[in-house]
Amino acid sequence: MKQNETLPSGISIEHDPDDLWSDSRAYVNIGPTHPAMHGAFRMCARLNGETIEKSYCEFGYTHRAKEKLGENRTYHQFVVYTDRLNYCSAIQNNVTYSMAVERLMGIEVPERAIWIRMACAEIARVIDHLVCVGINAVDLGAFSFFLYGFHQREEGYMLIEKLCGARLTTSYTRIGGLMADAPEGWERDIKAWVKKTRATIDEMDTLLTNNKIWKQRTVGVAIFNKDQCMQYSFSGPSARAAGIDMDLRRDQPCMFYKDIEFDVPIAQNGDVFDRYAVRMAEIRQSLNILTQIADRMKKGPIWSEDKRTRIPDKEVVHNTMEGLIHHFKFFMTGFDVPEGEAYTQFEGSNGEAGFYIVSKGSPRAHRMRIRGPSFWHYQALSPMCQGEKIGDMVAALGSINIIAGEIDR
Amino acid sequence: MSKDGSAHFFTTKLDDIINWGRKNSLWPLPFGTSCCGIEMMATFAADFDISRFGAEAMRFSPRQADLLIVAGIINLKMAPVLRTVYEQMSDPKWVISMGACASSGGIFNVYSVLQGIDTMIPVDVYVPGCPPSPEGVMHALMRLQEMVQKGETHSQRRLKAEGKEFALTAKA
Amino acid sequence: MDIRTPVANNYGDLATKFADTWKSQISRLQTKFSGAIEETRMPGEFPVDVPILYVKKDSIIGVLSFLKTEQGFDYGFLADLTAIDEGPQEGSSVPRFEMVYNLYSLSTKARIRVKVRLREGEEISTAIPVWQGADWAEREVFDMFGIKFTGHPDLRRILMADQWQGHPLRKDYPLRGYQLFTEPDPINQSLLD
Repeated sequence: MKQNETLPSGISIEHDPDDLWSDSRAYVNIGPTHPAMHGAFRMCARLNGETIEKSYCEFGYTHRAKEKLGENRTYHQFVVYTDRLNYCSAIQNNVTYSMAVERLMGIEVPERAIWIRMACAEIARVIDHLVCVGINAVDLGAFSFFLYGFHQREEGYMLIEKLCGARLTTSYTRIGGLMADAPEGWERDIKAWVKKTRATIDEMDTLLTNNKIWKQRTVGVAIFNKDQCMQYSFSGPSARAAGIDMDLRRDQPCMFYKDIEFDVPIAQNGDVFDRYAVRMAEIRQSLNILTQIADRMKKGPIWSEDKRTRIPDKEVVHNTMEGLIHHFKFFMTGFDVPEGEAYTQFEGSNGEAGFYIVSKGSPRAHRMRIRGPSFWHYQALSPMCQGEKIGDMVAALGSINIIAGEIDR
Repeated sequence: MSKDGSAHFFTTKLDDIINWGRKNSLWPLPFGTSCCGIEMMATFAADFDISRFGAEAMRFSPRQADLLIVAGIINLKMAPVLRTVYEQMSDPKWVISMGACASSGGIFNVYSVLQGIDTMIPVDVYVPGCPPSPEGVMHALMRLQEMVQKGETHSQRRLKAEGKEFALTAKA
Repeated sequence: MDIRTPVANNYGDLATKFADTWKSQISRLQTKFSGAIEETRMPGEFPVDVPILYVKKDSIIGVLSFLKTEQGFDYGFLADLTAIDEGPQEGSSVPRFEMVYNLYSLSTKARIRVKVRLREGEEISTAIPVWQGADWAEREVFDMFGIKFTGHPDLRRILMADQWQGHPLRKDYPLRGYQLFTEPDPINQSLLD
């Protein structure tokens, strides 16, 4: 018979003394190819019937060595790799990375570029939250919810496609500016999309929020309270669901977030239902922010006229010698970033997304460290699901929005 | 025989009718690892509906699926897993390599990435793109359907060479 | 123009906003940990964004707990735990790695960075007693750089396969150093018992 065991994290497992089968448990491999694991993750668990007694999680099945690539590609070439980090909200990573390098170089980007970047970040936040709650619902059986959300996501993709031609991997921002200006009437399209998405979110709300089945499956499941969240460096909606009042857009505002009014939704319990509710509320807040941005955006330049990073326009390249040489030097050797280091953070859809870049004065970074919030959240899955059933583990995994690109990089 | 002389039945070869049935009921195993997985989800969702092609029944078990859609990066850590999943599928089985990462390693020529799944498993259709748009995936599916109808896929050619093309028992 | 150029909408105002807070915090730290702090780099003099404390490796846990719990510091959020490799050094006594701890304070909204210089083969004690979440970050540092952590309950590879040889993020590991495997990793039963 097994004795009562205490795990290193302090949680204790009690063994029923009348349990005849306490020495033989099932050791089960959940993943890496599994419908409920979003992407390639593996959880090895010791099961007592349906209850997970002890488990450990593994990842690394989509490791693409972006940090090593950061040391071998110029800063401009690396923009492409940043899309593939949090691929549900790809354009947000572009924005964060460009901000990080511009900070190292002391470059000020013109106003219109900042407004467009903020709009992109908020559109990305909405579509990421739609994926997260949609897939969470699909795992628990609510398929129509997912379809409504995905239709609005397709409309959001059309907005981004109007901007830069690509749906998912946009590589839209450049160091010191943007790839191209927003087309005529983009602000009108944003407002139309916001109106439709608000109606869709209200409809999706009526499907699940007061639904008895949904509540039974999500309220009180996988609770992670405030202290535990701080121990595991939770940030973003998963932390706000536990009651931690932390939003980098409000606390450490960058771009023009201090001129925009928005609320920060916070819940109390830290269970799956709270994370879902916080995300739904955040979608509404992001839609408000988008309306304000669309009202305040004015015409203007989108490139900072810093000679180090300004990619010359095609007319200049084709018609002048200096333009041609500048273009050649820019793309062949890259521009030198002055020596220094900085950790630049942004409130990503999942939490605090950061780039810690150490530069030694060359066109390539000496160390490109990417802080993906999902890395710290996935670590908490094992303690969160201690003693829960497998079905609850599936709900918990969907609610913390793990994105393989951020964890494995 | 109807009034205008046309027949109420048509003749065909057994091969063609069986391949017609196979091509219109491809059951995909979505092996989505990274960004292409999101575009694959978009293909399965309502806007670009893949169930129009008979591929609505997504089966995550290799024993129950016949089309393996590898969407996303395949690592050197994931490669043996992919090989195991492919071997567990029963014949006839088809593989669509979706995206640049699965087809050739994509933009990641680094120490941890398998440079193309065709180094390990036979691929029938490659879909370029990073990620390919859902229209591209549907185009690939339709191309695969043509190949299945004509019997040109790797699996069908291998079975024909072994003489087991329309065997009633599945290969173990 | 470099990081010391203040661009207000790109966090350039943090240097002025927290200048006094940081100054008082650094002076308190220097009185308390006088022997442990090797060097301090402030944002005005060096091209850095936040003050960086270079701490000796034996006192790192003391410094981190002090920063986390002390009134007026409150750096309770471990934003990041990572390492930097300077490349193979000529003498084995020249430090090759730098451990980096990025901290954030939820109450004062300030950030600070703590670094430890390590030589090849040196071990550092684990930060798990201070933050439970440092567990996997340290495993990743071990996997990528080969730095070992004393007191870590389960130090094994996390991103690479268990059978991988070498530490990929070191400067002497090639970008294209492939290693092919034929078998997937089995379940490690000892971790579940």
